[in-house]
Amino acid sequence: MRLLLDRFPGTVSQLWTDTDTVEVQVPRGQIVDTLRTLRDDDDFGFFFLADAAAVDYGPQNWFEVVYHLYSDRHPAWLRIRVRVDRKSPHIPTVTDLWEGAMFHEREMYDMMGIVFDGNADLRRIFMSPDYRSFPQRKDFILPDDAADSAAAGVNPLERPETWDLSRFTDALPATETHPGSDETAVEAGETLADKSRPR
Amino acid sequence: MTATDPDVRIPDPIELDELEEERLRAAAGLGPRRVAGDGAGPAARPEYAGFDQVGLPDRPPQTEREQRLFTLNEGEMLLNMGPQHPSTHGVMRLLVKVRGEVITDLDVVLGYLHRGIEKLCENATYTTVLTYVDPMDYMSAMHNEHAPAIAFEKLYGIEVPRRAEYIRALVVELNRVFSHGLMMGFLALDMGGLTPILYGFINRDETVELLAAISGQRMLFNFFRVGGVNWDVNDEFINRLSRWRSNVEKTIGDNELLLTQNEIFTGRTKGLGVLTARDAISLGVSGPNLRASGVPFDVRKAHPYSIYDELEFDVITQPQGDSYARYMQRVAEIKQSIHLIDQIVDKMPHGPVQAQVPGIIRPRPGRAYAAIESPRGLYSVYAISDGGPNPYRFRMRDPSYITLQVMPKLMPGHLIADTMAVMASLDPIMGGVDK
Amino acid sequence: MDLDLLLGVGRFVLATTLLLLLTVPTAFIIIYLELKVIALMQLRIGPNRVGPYGVFQSAIHGFKVLAKEDFTPDNADRPIFTMAPWMVFMAAAMSMLVIPFAPGLVALDSEISVIYFFAIIGLSVVGLLVAGWASYNKYSLLGGLRSAAQMVSYEIPLTLSIVGVVILTGTLSFTEIIAWQHAHGWAILWQWIGLPVFFIASTAEINRTPFDMVEADSEIVAGFATEYSGMRFGFFFFAEYVSLFIMSAILVTLFFGGWLAPWPFPAQLSGFGGMIYGLFWFLLKTYFFVFVSIWARATLPRVRVDQLMGMAWKVLLPLALVNLFVTAIVVLVFGL
Repeated sequence: MRLLLDRFPGTVSQLWTDTDTVEVQVPRGQIVDTLRTLRDDDDFGFFFLADAAAVDYGPQNWFEVVYHLYSDRHPAWLRIRVRVDRKSPHIPTVTDLWEGAMFHEREMYDMMGIVFDGNADLRRIFMSPDYRSFPQRKDFILPDDAADSAAAGVNPLERPETWDLSRFTDALPATETHPGSDETAVEAGETLADKSRPR
Repeated sequence: MTATDPDVRIPDPIELDELEEERLRAAAGLGPRRVAGDGAGPAARPEYAGFDQVGLPDRPPQTEREQRLFTLNEGEMLLNMGPQHPSTHGVMRLLVKVRGEVITDLDVVLGYLHRGIEKLCENATYTTVLTYVDPMDYMSAMHNEHAPAIAFEKLYGIEVPRRAEYIRALVVELNRVFSHGLMMGFLALDMGGLTPILYGFINRDETVELLAAISGQRMLFNFFRVGGVNWDVNDEFINRLSRWRSNVEKTIGDNELLLTQNEIFTGRTKGLGVLTARDAISLGVSGPNLRASGVPFDVRKAHPYSIYDELEFDVITQPQGDSYARYMQRVAEIKQSIHLIDQIVDKMPHGPVQAQVPGIIRPRPGRAYAAIESPRGLYSVYAISDGGPNPYRFRMRDPSYITLQVMPKLMPGHLIADTMAVMASLDPIMGGVDK
Repeated sequence: MDLDLLLGVGRFVLATTLLLLLTVPTAFIIIYLELKVIALMQLRIGPNRVGPYGVFQSAIHGFKVLAKEDFTPDNADRPIFTMAPWMVFMAAAMSMLVIPFAPGLVALDSEISVIYFFAIIGLSVVGLLVAGWASYNKYSLLGGLRSAAQMVSYEIPLTLSIVGVVILTGTLSFTEIIAWQHAHGWAILWQWIGLPVFFIASTAEINRTPFDMVEADSEIVAGFATEYSGMRFGFFFFAEYVSLFIMSAILVTLFFGGWLAPWPFPAQLSGFGGMIYGLFWFLLKTYFFVFVSIWARATLPRVRVDQLMGMAWKVLLPLALVNLFVTAIVVLVFGL
């Protein structure tokens, strides 16, 4: 799987090998190209998009979109992590590669508020269409955000003022909600997989 | 009456809660709590003007897709199948655009059963997460527990005793048998056949009684633990298992007699809703539905977890990819699961069923991904630990949720009656879809 | 005034009242049978609480239906919405007039009772169609339109399939047909193509499984009856089971010799004794075909709308026509 490093010298910024999963970090701009190569190139053959999820790293002020791919060539799973800025969470869509990414992306938009540029059908999927906040963010406070929902109005995609990012930084100290996020370790260059390998 | 005494006023408990909340909010520097419809939200915007007269929808469409869906041509009408509909497998809504009886467009509207289990799990300890995931895909609760258990064991870095692995595989395959058996019944029921569902439920009842004998509960088993399983199986259980085996073969055989060669059944399912292998992969379809399209992708074989690399079985596929192939795939997999159960019982080793695990598990920071083959396809869990007692992020990929994307792709051009035949053959469970 | 006329009117009123009263136990018995038989076929116990073996279950159902709130949707077309159930029910009840239950036990022994019967039973489609239209509900509308398409299609093979019997017997009166069968043996001996055509078409005509598209619960909720509740729904429900009884009765009359026993009718039985004897055989055969219909319901899935139409026009209609011509030629040549 070191093949990845050879093939993407510029794009892959981090690489970890876990017990069963290889993990790659890719910059936001190159995600579509990388995934296309991974899918179509015979060396990789990652034909199946197993999962696409978003993680809210609140204190670090970014989201992470995580793709899990499966290849029957090797056979192995591959985890691709893409960082998205929390202030303007935009990322190119991968629905052109896998149509099935549609529901994944709609869920990520619904739950985390990540906007997938180019997705033709990006709207709420679980919450009602007039819902105004994003429940799986770490700064989601239930009574406030739930009160915003009923018939208060649609939240079109291009309306960042409703995303109310200020509350996170203003009202709640970051350390209070999630102490000891793992990302500091990654920043320092130490890989998480090294730490979490079974004893 | 004492209640009229003005001095002694017993406050309402709800009122007390509100006062308490008010106090806490003031302490946290937050404003007064807002309630729905108090006008504090954004005022009515000009683009909504006039939409209340249009009827459906009462809001501007958000995307082009939605706009196309809501634009009706001459002779078309929108039909809401659900959320209260006899055969939507739970609470979902199919927004169907029909011309006469022919479907021209279809949209899946979800969220009626959304409970926010992912968020709940982020606030639960690792042990209690295994109880929260049970009611997700309530037809395969054992599978729901299996993937988080594997993921947490990876995070925590413990080895599961081999007997526990065998018991896990055993209960998971038992679960698969009744889930697939019920699918046969649901498919028939959605096409008007009343009896197969009841034979399926006889099968399910025997199986859950069996599983209740080892787990203590009938539907949401709560049987898996991080590092093992809750209870051991004994000889009596194995004896009951052989009795169950002959019974289940009989009920499945009865169902097959009623359906497999039935002229009406084959006439309605053969050639219906054909999903090509290419489309199926692109749409993220997995499990029996994908294998019914001819793609030999089975997580048990492709990336063996638990003890599946020690068992002998083949990946069954059907070439056609229609509803009938999906039905036949389930029938074949039931037989395969029974075959697997035989092997597991034969090979089951002795030993402990639970590794030494502390009461509150605090794994090191890290990430783990665990994928298993549930009766509906690839069910995977992505868990992130930040070193605390709760998962920092707990993500579940439910196969039936992704599989539902097939519906808008397959349905246009078919009849309303076919909606149910296709959907039941995909076998989605709304508890899993809406998380 | 003429005494004969008065007697005739009196007899008619009496017979109609009795038949209307008869619909209630008939429907109750068939509903109970359906619950119990399907339950046993599905390895369940079925109704077993109300009365011995739950025999009063359907009576309790009837009371429940009476006690329920009977509401009309806001946008429904009220007069038609109210009228539709009894249009359906009256079509079923009125067609009972010509059924020969036993020798001498027939309310209206007309010379054209066959034509009368098919004219009246076809009226129920009007009731279903307006019920679907007046409900202001998309499912109801779909159900109503399905019923119109289905019944209009199946009227044709249904009617053609009995023309064979009519040619064979040379009469349009049910009692005459039975008399002919008394003399020559049951019509099924000659009409073995006509019987399956008639059976399938009649099953479709009364919307029984596997042709119950009109109220296909898994597709269009309850079809035309979606918005109905209380006794109005009860009328639809009653009408369905009464029609099942009627269709089985007509099938028995046309093809299985009506009140005739499988062996020659004992000559010494006449008057009241013969009536009871005939009634016994008639009900036995009729309920056998009711049972067959219930059996089909427990076994078969539902066919699709286009398959249903295809079957009517491509299979049943040619078969009925072949049957008609062959019968006509045989009767012409051999002069049966």
